[in-house]
Amino acid sequence: MRKNWFSALALAGAMAFANGASAQTIELAVDGSPAGLDPHIVTAFNSVQIVSGTIYESLTMIDKDLRTVPGLAESWQISPDNLTYTFRLRGGVTFHDGKPAEAADVVASLKRVMSSAIASPLASRLASVADATAPDARTVVVTLKEPTAPLLTALASIAVVPRGFEADKDGLQRAPMGTGPFKFKEWQPNGFIALEKNAGYWDKAKPRVDGVKFNIVPESATRQVGLTSGQYQILPNIDAATALQLRGRPNVRLVDTLELAYTLIGMNVSKPPFDNPKVREALNYALNRQEIVQAALFGAGVPGGSLSPALKDWAVDVASFPCFRHDPAKAQALLREAGITAPIAITLLVLPRQDIRDIAQVVQQQLNRAGFRVELRIPEIGQFVQDWRNSNFDAFASTNAGSTDPDDYYYRTFRTGGSTNVFKYSNPELDALLDSGRRETAMPARKAAYDRAQAILACEGPAATLTYGQLYTATRNNVQGFDIIANRSLMSLSNVVLGR
Amino acid sequence: MSRNFLVTRIVDLAIVLIGVSMLTFLMIRLVPGDAVAIMLGANAEVTVERMNELRARLGLDQPIPVQYAQWLGNALRGDFGNSLWTGKPVVQEIAVHLPPTLQLAGLSLLLGAGLAVPLGVAMARLRGGWRETALQIASVVGLTVPSFWLGIMMILALTSFAPELQLLGYVPFTEDPAGNVARLLLPAIALALPILANLARLVRSAMLDALAQDYVRTARAKGVSERSVLFKHALRNALIPFVTSVGIMTGYLLGGAIVVEQVFAIPGLGRLILGAISERNYPLLQTAILLVTSGFVLVNFAVDLLYAIIDPRVRLEADQ
Amino acid sequence: MNAQRNKLVTFAGGLTALLIVAALLAPLIAPYDPLAQNVIQRLKGPNALHWLGTDQFGRDTFSRILYGMRASLAISGGAVGAALIVGGAIGLAAAFYRGWIERVLMRAMDVLFAFPVILLAIAIIAILGPGAITTAIAIAVVYTPIFARLLRGPALSIVESDYVLAARSIGASDLRIALLHVLPNLASIVLVQTSLLLSAAILVEASLSFLGLGTQPPTPSLGTMLSEGRNFLMLSAWNSVFAGLGILILSFALNLLGDALRDALDPRLRRAA
Repeated sequence: MRKNWFSALALAGAMAFANGASAQTIELAVDGSPAGLDPHIVTAFNSVQIVSGTIYESLTMIDKDLRTVPGLAESWQISPDNLTYTFRLRGGVTFHDGKPAEAADVVASLKRVMSSAIASPLASRLASVADATAPDARTVVVTLKEPTAPLLTALASIAVVPRGFEADKDGLQRAPMGTGPFKFKEWQPNGFIALEKNAGYWDKAKPRVDGVKFNIVPESATRQVGLTSGQYQILPNIDAATALQLRGRPNVRLVDTLELAYTLIGMNVSKPPFDNPKVREALNYALNRQEIVQAALFGAGVPGGSLSPALKDWAVDVASFPCFRHDPAKAQALLREAGITAPIAITLLVLPRQDIRDIAQVVQQQLNRAGFRVELRIPEIGQFVQDWRNSNFDAFASTNAGSTDPDDYYYRTFRTGGSTNVFKYSNPELDALLDSGRRETAMPARKAAYDRAQAILACEGPAATLTYGQLYTATRNNVQGFDIIANRSLMSLSNVVLGR
Repeated sequence: MSRNFLVTRIVDLAIVLIGVSMLTFLMIRLVPGDAVAIMLGANAEVTVERMNELRARLGLDQPIPVQYAQWLGNALRGDFGNSLWTGKPVVQEIAVHLPPTLQLAGLSLLLGAGLAVPLGVAMARLRGGWRETALQIASVVGLTVPSFWLGIMMILALTSFAPELQLLGYVPFTEDPAGNVARLLLPAIALALPILANLARLVRSAMLDALAQDYVRTARAKGVSERSVLFKHALRNALIPFVTSVGIMTGYLLGGAIVVEQVFAIPGLGRLILGAISERNYPLLQTAILLVTSGFVLVNFAVDLLYAIIDPRVRLEADQ
Repeated sequence: MNAQRNKLVTFAGGLTALLIVAALLAPLIAPYDPLAQNVIQRLKGPNALHWLGTDQFGRDTFSRILYGMRASLAISGGAVGAALIVGGAIGLAAAFYRGWIERVLMRAMDVLFAFPVILLAIAIIAILGPGAITTAIAIAVVYTPIFARLLRGPALSIVESDYVLAARSIGASDLRIALLHVLPNLASIVLVQTSLLLSAAILVEASLSFLGLGTQPPTPSLGTMLSEGRNFLMLSAWNSVFAGLGILILSFALNLLGDALRDALDPRLRRAA
């Protein structure tokens, strides 16, 4: 009791010293309401950016240079056979209700993600985990069925929640509780989500503000006005068109980085015309990716292959793939080889998001000049998800999220029967490469497998990857300490402070 | 008012409300797309078992008439179900979103009606010639200007001329009364213009009618002030068309709010309904739409009754 | 006074006719292909090459507005026409047959009428999928009860008038009475209301496109242009400004026409409105 009283006093003194004024809350404006805040159930990006690294932490984390670094685990050891990982947890970590965060909570979280009762979309990331145990309060042992190179990266996406939610799917949706620098305060649907400082955070230097508030503002122009007027201090993760409009405004600063997510034209290979590899190749030649970058991304981005150029250790330069050169004549020649003479009519299912709609309109023009006749179908989001999931399309224009490990780009999306392989693509050679990329732990062997995979996917694959955009965050000038991270994490909010 | 008239109207009202609830239920279920698939999101990894399990848990595996009967039974007992996404009672969700919309509609109506009287009087005073025509044209512009466009133009003006003004979003009245009204002002103006134009025209023609009456002319000749003409005769004359147009305006305001709330980031019913449609959040959508439509039906019912009180001919016709 | 009124009818009619002709002749008048992209010329304000500037793909705003008006008029016209036919038939049937038929029909209309216009249209489009034709269907459904309610009352008084009773007594069929005696008497109400509802339908169509539910890109539509333009508001507001003005002038012309017609055709109607 006395100790609490003392530390509260010390903290109050420190705070008064730090800013000498009233409570500081960072106001952010984001475009959509999350479906819920349970980090194991809702994996949509507009939910993840609010909870990940702010409310929740994981054993490992991805830093701003995209390296996998210690999170709640301060260190780990890997057995020589690569089948046992032993994590040593940080001391003095508590959940927002004050209870200590122990090894048993970590184990419960991993099992919660793997359990069929919760049926988490993240489960496949732990598919190779055989068991997890807690020999003591600060040690977690994870045993694997087979060596798994991306495990440490994958663990960065598995939030640690308190034990007791193993069969509870609703408890964390509205009242999230983790170990992070901010704790959940209030959610006014369609209005805002407010987080407040976690005074008991293990890193005593953080957070440096008293709270963050995510205002939900659907209209882009309204968010911009809110930033220029100083009503909001941060517009996180905005696209090039928005950034361009904020550039040069008084008191506004832009930071940027290259996206991990890519835009693509996905093709249904289970039916004509895209069951024919030549038609897929023709589509690639018909595309002018440089023009797409200029027209739809306002020049802020690069054409890219199936891995983000931000992953410098992995990505192969697309200039080495012939089909990334715009060549409509070659496209038409390929279509003739495929026995197609009249323009092929295809319907393009388009994700209803402004940048994708823009890209689709540019792509439509390009393809129509090279032997295709494209009709756009832009349903509202509910219908899009339905059609996308059921492979109810000739081709679709959309965006796919990325990660820091190639396995996350490829395994679920391109492997036969993969959970997001809506193309219905199946290629035994690629499957073998993806399996070995997952199993091999030595970098050269993995690199060889993924180099070959990139070549296979480049011209005849089921996805014509288009662009990697530049990702921006706009802040007021007085926002200090914010780092933009390509995976869109806002964990650096704990380091942000408002200057004068 | 005869009892017969009242009974007929109330029976009709009940029939319409039940019809509305059935039509809403049917329409919502006819919307293609599956709440479960959408809930799990694009680009997420899911299994068929997970989707079926979720579907059963939400009762979506039953036939539609069964679902309706269940819903109606529960609704009559005051249980409107829980939101599919948040698990909270839909009544709670709606209660949170109702005040901003009511405030917005109320403020628009207040602005429109309040300014309509002086404007209408001014318009009545300007008679004949090009000025009258210009006013008529201006009032038609007011009637037809798209509120969402006006909203965007106001935001544009705000960024260009007063970039420091913080007038967007929403704060509850209980937290910051002045801020609350200030922030609702722009969207309310965007919504109020057609109402203003409409009501000002009513006041104008009522004023003209009143001024044309012999006894008013006599009164004026005797030196009765224009103010008294306005309050004693013109406004009373304007009351009947005003009352009848309130019903139409309620519908307009509820519909217009859907688009304007989107533009001005106001967490109201319109946003709730649009969001619930794209989420296929059936229980929430059902209750929210039912609330809006019943509100509209009840306002029109009240208008009918009022109208019958003011104008006895209506009653006679209905009684026949 | 009357001359003034007629002048206004002429003005409103002339403006409406001009807009309709311009929309119909869009392929001939438009200086550019409304779909042709030219990124170098994008987001320009009005200039000698592009009279109303260009959008985010460098497409000519003036050409797109002409085509957009065409789509807007076609959708609204088709929708209001369909609503007039179906709603009118229902209103007349109710007036002719009274009794339970009238009650069933009019309660059904009341149910539809209970939904705010935009909300019902959104729901219908959610069921049928977005697009120009479904937008027209949605607007037609929404306006059907308005015509039904509008025509039932006046039809009722005509049906019960002496000369219709006389026609009945000499054995004229219901259809004949409807076509020869009732409809001509309703012509002025129908004309006025059609014009006013067309004006309102233009706004509804624009709202739906604005929400992304109407005509699908790349086909030009005024609401979609406004909606896309607002994403680039601070780079170039011209596209949004002109698209909105396009919606306004169409809706305005039709509303003014209805308004002026009402004044000119039947002074008694003025007071009721």
